[in-house]
Amino acid sequence: MPVDNARTRDAVLGFADAMDARAVAEAAPAAGPELHLLTFALDREEFGIPVTQVREVIRVSEITRVPQAPSHVRGVANLRGRILAVVELRSRLGLPPAELTPRARVVVVEVRGRVLGLLVDAVSQVTKVPQASVVPAPEEVLSGDSDYVTGVARWQSRLIILLDLEKALAPTE
Amino acid sequence: MGGNENPFGDLLQDYVLECLPLAEQVADTFVELERRWRADDPADAVLASLAGRLHTIKGNSAMMGLAPMREVAHALEDACGLLGRRPDRRGDAAAALLVTGGGLLTDLVRHAAPDLDPAAADRYVERVRQWLASDAAPAAETQPERRQADRRGGGAAAAGAEKAASVVRVDFRRLDAMLEVLGEGLIQHSALAEAYREVARRGGASEEMDRLDQAVIALQKTLKRLESTLMETRLLPIATVFGRFPRMVRDTAEAVGKRVRLVQAGGETPLDKAVLDRLSEPLVHLVTNAIAHGLEPADVRRGAGKPEEGTVRLEAAPQAGRVVIRVSDDGRGLDERAIRKKAEALGPEGRSDESIPLRSLIFLPGLSTADRVSTLAGRGVGLDVVAGAIHALGGTIDVETAVGQGTAFTLSLPVTLAIVRSLIVEIDQERYALPLAHVAETVRAEPEAIREINRRGVAQWRGDLIHVADGGAVLGTGRSRSTPRRFYVVMAAGGKRRGLLVDRLVGHQDVVVKGLDPELGRPDVVSGTTILGDGRVACILDAVRILEGGRRAG
Repeated sequence: MPVDNARTRDAVLGFADAMDARAVAEAAPAAGPELHLLTFALDREEFGIPVTQVREVIRVSEITRVPQAPSHVRGVANLRGRILAVVELRSRLGLPPAELTPRARVVVVEVRGRVLGLLVDAVSQVTKVPQASVVPAPEEVLSGDSDYVTGVARWQSRLIILLDLEKALAPTE
Repeated sequence: MGGNENPFGDLLQDYVLECLPLAEQVADTFVELERRWRADDPADAVLASLAGRLHTIKGNSAMMGLAPMREVAHALEDACGLLGRRPDRRGDAAAALLVTGGGLLTDLVRHAAPDLDPAAADRYVERVRQWLASDAAPAAETQPERRQADRRGGGAAAAGAEKAASVVRVDFRRLDAMLEVLGEGLIQHSALAEAYREVARRGGASEEMDRLDQAVIALQKTLKRLESTLMETRLLPIATVFGRFPRMVRDTAEAVGKRVRLVQAGGETPLDKAVLDRLSEPLVHLVTNAIAHGLEPADVRRGAGKPEEGTVRLEAAPQAGRVVIRVSDDGRGLDERAIRKKAEALGPEGRSDESIPLRSLIFLPGLSTADRVSTLAGRGVGLDVVAGAIHALGGTIDVETAVGQGTAFTLSLPVTLAIVRSLIVEIDQERYALPLAHVAETVRAEPEAIREINRRGVAQWRGDLIHVADGGAVLGTGRSRSTPRRFYVVMAAGGKRRGLLVDRLVGHQDVVVKGLDPELGRPDVVSGTTILGDGRVACILDAVRILEGGRRAG
């Protein structure tokens, strides 16, 4: 799986570079429907998820390891008396592991009625992106385990990789 | 039942909640009648006690448009009426008719649905009609008796209504949700207390601080009271499980051709519904075993100078914050020689060393599928399965037996699964909760006391050699360590014992059990999570699985 993900990642990055190369100054004012995204950083890339799935963003507190849990699970944390499973999104997306910095955050999301924490390197901001700026992810990205990338938003010289959390978080049996 | 999308859903649920206990009582009473009549006891009072209940079931069923239940209750009412007037018609045939009807009525009520297939009910009602007609009752006697029965029924209904006015039915999930909220409250209190101490440490002593301190303490007491009230609300009398046994004992006894008397005691003992739900099956196993294998056939009993009718006892009692349940019979007792021989055949685990007590052998997997069991019952009822179910509930099971006198199984269960008294330990900087039910002892790990045999740590404990596993190895936090661990916890369940090396014993705590998110997979050695007093999350270790996991938890 790590090999596959590495390949996927290269494909995404390659695609992003290609998009960059073709970048034209077409940052026209937004018209038409917009996507409301929370964006965050993972391994020098910017990822985005719909804000409707985000409940809150918290600082990384004490995270308890769970024996025999899948490798992409960082552990469990206490969210005001509620047990929150914290997923290491880097590991889940096949990105290399990294030390936690003070900028690291846990994005608390609600997916299919389940509340989960996503550990990310840093949270950038809440952004509105025109729907029209989203291009489908290149086909090679959609293969195998990586169908959680739904597209790439190119907006004001930023490239935001859009994630489908339902797919990214499906328990890997 | 359809729930909210079905407008009848809630009403049907209320109907079942009210009528099912009544139907079960009626069914039990029929079994009791049969037994009494066989003993030549007319049991008039028992018979008379049925009228009110049958009447209520009939009325409620009619109100819900549930014709099959109404008809069966009505037929039973008629049959009981006749039997009240005509003692000469009492006997085995009548009792069999009633017992069948009681079982049918209970099943119908339990699966109440508007689209119920009425065929079975129709057949039964016809059977009763024929039985009634087979000897027409003198009409003159009918009237006064009937009126008396109605009066009695009315009285019972009135008493029921009075009680119902002060009782509210609550979906159990709401109680779970309340417990969840309470858990959050307890944690928030911890945070508040912690913040207060921090401010106090910085020299914030003042009158306001004292008041704050008192408020924090008072809040804790209030939350604790709320906790115990809520826990009580979740408890149900164990009679809700015991209730099915009179009929089950009767049916099993009939199937194996034995006469059995069931004695029950302590039905009022309260137990968490979550425990009760998972207790029924192991108890059925034990009672079935007692009847099929424990009790001797009538001729053997007679030869041994025992009453032909065997006795099976089902008793419950609260004991030091737990509930003890005893299932006993006055049968032949366990055949120790046969069990030891069988255990030997199972291999090294069941070596027939005389020093190993019988009670450790009998719960070994595969043992009770021994010949004796499978030929008598036609199926092997594994005591290992029973023990597994009891252990999963955080309980223990033990057995005592005396040849020719009988066998008794003693179960000790936690009153609730929602809160578990635990030992908090620290292993590689992580804290874990170990349910105390499975902790036999904590021992200081002297370096020379633990030796290595076949690359497994072994220590002498209470005269036995036990395997002592490294906590970090079992939990995957590491194996090689420069500083040795300072303690080991001896865990015990079902005759298995194992030590677990830990760094620190933190203390005892009642922990509120929380589930595992599906994202966490299905860890073998963890049964749940909890939040400790300092707000940190700790995993609750599954002692039974750790004891079982010989290979994985080396």
